Amino acid sequence: MCVSLIQPPIHQSHRHTKRLSRTVFALIIINKAGGLIYNRTFHEGGLNKISTNELLVLAGTFHGVHAITARLNPIPTPGANRNSASSAGTMMRPEPPSGLEVLESENFRLQCFTTLTGIKFLLFTDTTQTNVDLTMRRVYEMYTDYVMKNPFYQLEMPVRCDMFDRKLLSYIREINNR
Amino acid sequence: MVVYSFYIFDRHTECIYSKSWLPPPSVSSHDPLTNPPTHPQHQQPPPHQPQQPPQSTTTTTLTLTQKQSSDNAKLLFGTVFSLRNMVRKLGGPDDAFISYRTAQYKLHYYETASSLRFVMLTDVSTLSMRNVLHQIYINLWVEYVVKNPLSPVEHKGGEGVRNELFELGLDQFVRGLM
Repeated sequence: MCVSLIQPPIHQSHRHTKRLSRTVFALIIINKAGGLIYNRTFHEGGLNKISTNELLVLAGTFHGVHAITARLNPIPTPGANRNSASSAGTMMRPEPPSGLEVLESENFRLQCFTTLTGIKFLLFTDTTQTNVDLTMRRVYEMYTDYVMKNPFYQLEMPVRCDMFDRKLLSYIREINNR
Repeated sequence: MVVYSFYIFDRHTECIYSKSWLPPPSVSSHDPLTNPPTHPQHQQPPPHQPQQPPQSTTTTTLTLTQKQSSDNAKLLFGTVFSLRNMVRKLGGPDDAFISYRTAQYKLHYYETASSLRFVMLTDVSTLSMRNVLHQIYINLWVEYVVKNPLSPVEHKGGEGVRNELFELGLDQFVRGLM
């Protein structure tokens, strides 16, 4: 697993937490089978440090919960029963219910972006962070540019791409130091 | 702002109270074509509960919906429980899960010190309902359920929760919000 964390000196990170409240804590990428394929912490002290094993469990759990949250949709959809959808034609097929998109807790905020291919990007930020959509979009762009276009990258496998690491780190650092 | 449904889970993970403010699905499953998708996003819930389903099918639909809602409650509890554990793992033991949002609905969560869990499903534009759930706990639960001398200590199967005052108070309180 890729857990080569870059740790800033401790005194520095403390200064950071005091000075800025808007921070991106970490990024996790989960593949379509629920496996953890990328994990990076950008800001120490935002989230608890947990072991890779626990993180793997967490990724799997989140994958399942995400599927259930889509099923829990309380609003009855027009095409809820399949016969009507098929008999009425394909034009009126409703948007499928989406799973969890934003989770809020007292200490952090979790934004989840699911690609059409089922890969999940989980961005952990400070509760006051704004414009996470934009950050997420940029991260996804980087993923497509530096991971998907890497000829040595195997689909569904852990992401080990230097370029992606570097670009991502410099982009997030820019946000965190703003 | 629209409130879809509300659930209470006790410390034995049992759903001891659930209430839905959505109109019961008028679409009968055996006759899908007659119902054009007049849908949904109703801004105002109807002031009165819509009419009962036809008498002939009442018993079967009732048991079916009962089973469905009990299954739903179990799914809901599993989701909320997993997410709460995830939040605690990441944000530290004093962190608390507040809410999550999907594209269709938003779920609000409040847990008391005695592991009583209040869950509310609303539309996505609703702001934090944590204080509302807290108010329900203080003003309705404690007043009408805890202080009721006839109510048991453990509410197995929802015993003692479904009293008139609590139901009425809850309904008025939530309709006042909408």
